[in-house]
Amino acid sequence: MFKKLLLGSVVALGFTGSAMAETVNILMEGVPDTQFVKELIPEFTKETGIEVNLEVVNYAEMHTKLVPQLVSPQGSYSAIVVDFYWVGEFVKAGWMQPLDERIKADNFDTSVYVPALMDLVGQVDGTTYMLPFYNYAMGLTYRTDLLADAQNQADFKAKYGMDLKVPATWDEYLKQVEFFTKDGMHGVVNQGLRPDPIAMEWSNYLFANGGTYHDADWNPTLNNEAGVKAVEQYKTMIDKFGPVGSASFSFDEAFNVMAQGKAYSYITYNFFRTAYDDPSKSAVVGKVEIMPVPGPTPEQGGSLNGAWGWAIPKSSPNPDAAWTFLKWVESKEIAKKRALAGGSPTRTDVFDDPDLNAKYAYFPALKQMLLTSHNFPVFTYTPQLVEVLGRELSLAVAGEKSPSDALAAIEAEMAELARKDGKLK
Amino acid sequence: MSGIKASAADRRDARFGYVLAAPSLTVLFLIILFPVLSALYTSLHEYTLIAPNFDIFTGFDNFRLALADAEFRHSAWLTIRFVIGVVLLEFVIGFGIALMLNKVERFKPIYYAILLCPLLMNPVIVGLIWRMFLHPNLGIVNYLLSTVGLGPVNWLGDTKIAIWTVIMVDIWHQVSFMIVLLLAGLASLPKEPYEAARVDGANAFQCFIHITLPMMRTVIIVTLLIRLIFAVKTYDLIYIMTRGGPGVATDLVSYFIYRTAFVGLNIGEASAMSIILLTAILGLTAYLYRYMRSIR
Amino acid sequence: MRIKWSTILPHLVLTVFSLAILLPLVWVLRVSLTDKLTAYRIPPEIGHIGLENYVEIFSVYPFERWFFNSLLVALLSTAISLPLATAMAYAFARFNTGGAMLRLGVLASQMLPPIILVLPLFTLFFTTGLMQTHLGLVLSHLTISLPFLAWMLVSFFEGDSASLEEAARIDGATRWQAFIKIAVPVAAPGILAAGLLGFILSWNEFLFALVLSGASTQTLPIGLASMETHAGVEIAPLAAATVVSLLPVFALLPFLRKYLIKGLSLGALK
Repeated sequence: MFKKLLLGSVVALGFTGSAMAETVNILMEGVPDTQFVKELIPEFTKETGIEVNLEVVNYAEMHTKLVPQLVSPQGSYSAIVVDFYWVGEFVKAGWMQPLDERIKADNFDTSVYVPALMDLVGQVDGTTYMLPFYNYAMGLTYRTDLLADAQNQADFKAKYGMDLKVPATWDEYLKQVEFFTKDGMHGVVNQGLRPDPIAMEWSNYLFANGGTYHDADWNPTLNNEAGVKAVEQYKTMIDKFGPVGSASFSFDEAFNVMAQGKAYSYITYNFFRTAYDDPSKSAVVGKVEIMPVPGPTPEQGGSLNGAWGWAIPKSSPNPDAAWTFLKWVESKEIAKKRALAGGSPTRTDVFDDPDLNAKYAYFPALKQMLLTSHNFPVFTYTPQLVEVLGRELSLAVAGEKSPSDALAAIEAEMAELARKDGKLK
Repeated sequence: MSGIKASAADRRDARFGYVLAAPSLTVLFLIILFPVLSALYTSLHEYTLIAPNFDIFTGFDNFRLALADAEFRHSAWLTIRFVIGVVLLEFVIGFGIALMLNKVERFKPIYYAILLCPLLMNPVIVGLIWRMFLHPNLGIVNYLLSTVGLGPVNWLGDTKIAIWTVIMVDIWHQVSFMIVLLLAGLASLPKEPYEAARVDGANAFQCFIHITLPMMRTVIIVTLLIRLIFAVKTYDLIYIMTRGGPGVATDLVSYFIYRTAFVGLNIGEASAMSIILLTAILGLTAYLYRYMRSIR
Repeated sequence: MRIKWSTILPHLVLTVFSLAILLPLVWVLRVSLTDKLTAYRIPPEIGHIGLENYVEIFSVYPFERWFFNSLLVALLSTAISLPLATAMAYAFARFNTGGAMLRLGVLASQMLPPIILVLPLFTLFFTTGLMQTHLGLVLSHLTISLPFLAWMLVSFFEGDSASLEEAARIDGATRWQAFIKIAVPVAAPGILAAGLLGFILSWNEFLFALVLSGASTQTLPIGLASMETHAGVEIAPLAAATVVSLLPVFALLPFLRKYLIKGLSLGALK
């Protein structure tokens, strides 16, 4: 037995070393696109003769697994996927290989990517480190059947003096939330869990009120009218218009409330749109649609952008084979196949593809969402900023801090982090 | 027996002891000594994941920073209360159940198999499954409460309730750990003292106080100690169930150290915090150990 | 009347306790037979019933690989750590080997949060080629189980078997024979319990397994955790996987019957 184990360890060592260039090891987290990539891999192996070894871990634990690999001069993974949170950190620590020379040599066209995504998980200060893999921009998911109901329309008109329709502005949406909180229904469900669910969701509230995180010089701009309003609205949503306990909901709990037909709306990651139409998960098949989070005016959006990108780590044992895989997986053909299976694309030519628009009626809304979305501050300490936001917002929602006190605390820590990173002078 | 002979036997005894301990010690020294020393060394340097080098020696700055951090102090204090809560409650329940199990013969393996089940579940799974049960609107627990006119209870979203919810789930998950060890302790007690006591007319309660407790003392202390060390390291359950929230109501110190190391990227400070933690537990262990010796 | 009450009371308490443990698991079993929609239906409905989740954990997820890896690592690390820890515990208890310092020192590494140990451990394993191997996982789990098992067992050797051993030594038994033939059987209940807990420690270990495993050596906890995805928790397949991973306990039943009732009474011999 022991001999066999020792032998096994030697074989595994061979895999991790650079000797076997024909196997590409990739570390991924569980997102919908991961499964679609997995299903397409036999095509790649047939085309190139390169084997692909996909290792999937819990999305939230991936950073923990990745860091020792990246710190090490030589690691086990040929290619990895990178959340936008980590981009600043990974670049600062020098953990990713620049891709520009490979892109140039192979004439790989990066202009097809949605510009906001290329800014988020593609280029940093003019150097390309990643290819945008899939997006998780947030949108407003809402119940179309409730909007279309004649009785609701009449009641809404009588109460607010305006038509009940797809909301064009944030204020109009807030009225609808209040209106639909009746008869055991909730106007909204929130994901108030620390740190990323609440930080990500609240960012939409900030942008929808016309707020921003910082000015051009990285001075924090949160503790002002827009910021305070965003916190107050968020707290009101949870306390008055949402189900009990949404202050501790992760997106799974919140999605289930919506999928069980107990809420009118939920601001969440766009890939949940497909899940609403899955009858094994949802009681509201065909009754939920997605749109960009409405902004202060009909022209402005309030959506938060988010995405993962493919990268080749510095410690990659076989970067050339990894690049061959990246080129293939991000080609128009494969990107389209992934999107057809239900993935979240990053390429404009995929968004404009007639087959996809025929299959998914909400594709124009998704594209619009990306084009009007706002990026979260990306710098070395983004994950820490998310932690601070999560803690302070959670304290404000729990009523243990006033909105402006919480925002002042966030501003102070954010300024300190930005200063440490050399962004704020 | 002459003195020289006795000391020769003692020396051979001592040598035999080292021979028996050597394989374990070799494994431990080879694998864990380097990481532990590395943590000690790191705690004295400004070592971050962004700049993973030992260029800047900072002495005890990391320790000072950690102790001055209000969030660290809050989570340390919370951890002390959490640990006392889970360890004591689990001990009381666990000892009670172990005593009962020690009394029965019929169905014993079935009871035992059932109580092993939660132990074989990973904390991550336990957390995810209880989140489902405790969903305030869609969970079975609040539904059952509502059928008798109670609730809905905001299990994880209320700053006053959340920590008790976590303690409750931890008890469900870990109480069997105590039972397994305490039952083994009870099973290895000799029978004669009980028979003698019965002849003297002692009742069950007197037997428990005067025979069971004193003879179980070392097993009890070791059980408490081991469970305590695990309870201090609780982080997966928090990570899955509350992420330290709502607010900072469940922010236990191990989860805080985890974030300092892998979110804050500050390995130096995280190491210093860990060593503060180590010192505290080691001090307590040494105290309990001496107490254990003194009563022998 | 009194006598009857005292035989019924333990069963009553144990039944209530068993139900408290079991009922949540029954609900997990139910969720494993349905879909996510039905799992969250309130008030509960019968809804959809089927075995798809059990099919899914083997077809979509490599459940059998996770299970095998966990079983192999947990069995091996227990098989190695139990005899080694027993020997060390005996040395501690009988000969006070290394004194209090060594005893505390052995346990001290376990008082550090594992997150602090994982970076140097990674370096160590990478340079020795143990990264992503079963052997590496077994060794990393030994560092956890050896100190704990030794501590648990010390208290079982500190009972009064010392006098029995001395008697045997006078009768001409060697130190080794006194250890194996007398001390070990007397401490059998403790050794069995420690073995069980050692298996459980390794079976559930998460952080070392996360960082040190690879695609082919992923253990059950890491695999099951990957069912919590960025698009929500795959709760129904997760429930099915939980049910299957608990089945080995019931395979233990005959073993438990033998050792809990007959084996444990060994300790009463003395």
